[in-house]
Amino acid sequence: MDYPIWSSGLSGGVLMAWVAITHVIVSHFAIGGGLIIVVSETLAVKRADREMRELARRASLVLILVSTVFGAISGVGIWVVAGLISPGAISALIHNYVWGWAIEWVFFVLEIVAALVYYTTWDKISKGAHLLVGWLYFIGAYMSLVVINGIITFMLTPGRWLETHAFWDGFFNPTYWPSLVLRTGIVILMAVAFMLWSAYKASPGRRPDLVRYLGWWFLGGALLSYAGYRWWEVALPDTVTALFLGETPTLAGLAATRSFTLWSLAIGLAVCVLALLLAPRAARGITAIVLMAAAFGFFGGYERLREGTRKPFLIHSHLFSNGLLVSQIDEINRVGISAHSGWVALGDPSPEALGARIFAAECSSCHTLDGYQSIRGVLPTVADMERVAADEPAGTGVVHYLEQCSSCHIDIAYEDMAEMLPTVDEIREDPDFIRELNLGMITMTMMELKEMGEAYADFDPHEVFDMRTLRRSTMPPFVGTDDEAETLAIYLASLDDPQRETTGGAR
Amino acid sequence: MNPDLIPALDAAGLPGPPWLFHVLLVFTFFLHLIFMNLTLGGTLMAFVANLRGRGQSGDPDAVLAKRLMGVNTYAISLAITTGVAPLLFVQVLYQQFFYSGTILLGWIWFGMLVLLMIGYYAAYLHKRFRGGWLGVSAVCFFAIAMTHVAVHLIHVQPAKWPQFNMSAMSVLADPTYWPRLIHFVLAAVTFAALVAAWWAVRRARAGVDVDLNTAIAQSTWRWAYLATVLQLVDGFLLTAVLPKPVLLGVMRGGIETLGPLSLSILLAIGLLVMLERGGPNPVMKPGLVSGVLATLLLTIAVMSVTRHQVRVLYLEPATSKFTATIVPQWGNFILFALLLVIGLATVFWMVRRVLTSPAEGDEAA
Repeated sequence: MDYPIWSSGLSGGVLMAWVAITHVIVSHFAIGGGLIIVVSETLAVKRADREMRELARRASLVLILVSTVFGAISGVGIWVVAGLISPGAISALIHNYVWGWAIEWVFFVLEIVAALVYYTTWDKISKGAHLLVGWLYFIGAYMSLVVINGIITFMLTPGRWLETHAFWDGFFNPTYWPSLVLRTGIVILMAVAFMLWSAYKASPGRRPDLVRYLGWWFLGGALLSYAGYRWWEVALPDTVTALFLGETPTLAGLAATRSFTLWSLAIGLAVCVLALLLAPRAARGITAIVLMAAAFGFFGGYERLREGTRKPFLIHSHLFSNGLLVSQIDEINRVGISAHSGWVALGDPSPEALGARIFAAECSSCHTLDGYQSIRGVLPTVADMERVAADEPAGTGVVHYLEQCSSCHIDIAYEDMAEMLPTVDEIREDPDFIRELNLGMITMTMMELKEMGEAYADFDPHEVFDMRTLRRSTMPPFVGTDDEAETLAIYLASLDDPQRETTGGAR
Repeated sequence: MNPDLIPALDAAGLPGPPWLFHVLLVFTFFLHLIFMNLTLGGTLMAFVANLRGRGQSGDPDAVLAKRLMGVNTYAISLAITTGVAPLLFVQVLYQQFFYSGTILLGWIWFGMLVLLMIGYYAAYLHKRFRGGWLGVSAVCFFAIAMTHVAVHLIHVQPAKWPQFNMSAMSVLADPTYWPRLIHFVLAAVTFAALVAAWWAVRRARAGVDVDLNTAIAQSTWRWAYLATVLQLVDGFLLTAVLPKPVLLGVMRGGIETLGPLSLSILLAIGLLVMLERGGPNPVMKPGLVSGVLATLLLTIAVMSVTRHQVRVLYLEPATSKFTATIVPQWGNFILFALLLVIGLATVFWMVRRVLTSPAEGDEAA
């Protein structure tokens, strides 16, 4: 939080999602594709099967064009974006796991060189040498996953690392093995979804055979993914699973994501059995598209669950997604965020301008002004109060109240609130009075978020934090002095002032 | 200097002694430079050669362009792959400065990814469809070079961060920006030209398309010669415009800094002499051609050291205010070093096996 602030106008989270989603799709395809392609070539050599060889050959073009550059660039892209939006967070990860990443790089070099050699030496070298290159490619690619899986899973379930801060305690964390099994299944699903297009180009006589062959792969991948997923859920701490499992999950949205994830896999499995295994002649482009959508749905859903249950942390119970360490909370509350970060202090000292910089430092890794996770959209406004008070047409007041106000006023029913509110005419006559009220509410929320920080700071740093104990379990705390909390509230309240142009702090 | 603008050191500490990361950063950056030079220099040369050759098959310039872009099929991927490691180690050593520099550049830094993607796929499209794709690729790679020079100069000058915060583009007015950019571009062109010359000489000596390969060798030799002459001029200019404390730091650094700098200057002069001795037809002197290429590689390696020392001197006023906690992970480093050796040996063995296993027809894969 003491880095310069990137005012990109976009949500950092959205930008990261775009880069990361494309990367994981491509990188998982590159691993699974490597496996199925080289197994296919091995079978082709053993059986002198020309069509199987062509399947491997055609698919290897996609592998080289997509994985060696797009995969590599998007992988670097994750670092680039993380460095721009959450430098403190990515720095913490790199300082703990630099040797993990360095080891992954070694396998990456092997993977890329082997991929380039593999594609360019069809028809030019002996079958044995070519197969050797193909297997080396797969080993390099899969070992990259073996390594990076340790770092990714560590972020959600750091396990004993919270106590020891030892590399291997974090690496072989509680969800390491389940996640590896799950991702091994996923890489196969992704590869089959892409390779079906290559199989469709086979001669009409062999096409059904090849489609069915890929169907067996998909079936294996789906079963492996399902086993890995279930194991992953079992391995998660209760404090995490409670967020999306059980009769009353803490985060209903994540519970829906879980259903979506499993239904996607079920649909993929059904289409695989029906269209690839039982009636391969019926398989068409639409079959591949449905399987691709199902595989993406399952994979995307799982990633969303993983990210969603980790919120608001980057490393669970240790580091928040905005770069704040749990261990820094007390210190920053004492000295203030402006003293902690020269970039917050630099510039116009007026409350609105300083508040905008505090917002940028503390909130903008998740919130934008008006885009994704819009902060303006969740703040109380004069217009909100008018709509609730007016209730015109009848019934819209309660709807608006439930949508816009009840997440904070959890213990006040609409009817009670309506009685407390001024009339519409009074609101229109003196909107500044309403803005004062809203400022008061925002300030109270800031103070509540600051108190939440004290709860974090009081928790045993060697244990996984139980997010169920917090009212706003997906939010990092506010850190800073009381004056700074008020300054931030003034800035946020000013976003409802039509006279004021508010652009600061956008991300 | 506004120390408050420099973020705190990472609380996790350094997972090894600083010298280790300095060595790894320089070593992996050198590896990256080899393929980066081929990518940037090769694409720029191919662009010019393609214009001169007008796409006529058999024309030495057209063949040269085709060859360079053929090499780039590998070089671009490997430039990205080898670039990952120095990017990792610079984040370990200089996170406070590097991230700040990239954030101050913002979208321009992010845009590098887009340029890289366009540059690469444009190179592929050029191979398939010709047209203007080679120009697109060349522009993209040149713009990436500009971005890297910009982020380097911003991250090493925290005293100017408020100015860069107002306008990151003001880095273009930094006295060292253009000489530094030209320095890298000329090095890239020289390297790509010499690789092309070395290859053409080998082919000509083997009796393959002797006239064509001789013409290519002569042309690329001239490219290398001209670029080296300009490099010497630019090198002295770059040294002269370095900030005074940095220049004094180099001069007063004793053998540690003066050694590599002097050696690289001597190597550059030696390179020029050797290029001169290669005369109008380098095909007649294959040993010299290999020697020039080896000397250039050595020069790049030594210059990588000097470049890093200059960065250290630029940052010295800022870094001296911080003391990093060292939490070594020796076991993990040893594992990495072992895997690096095994990995590189495997790559070498694989390439060797491929080169010694040619096959045709039904015997081929």
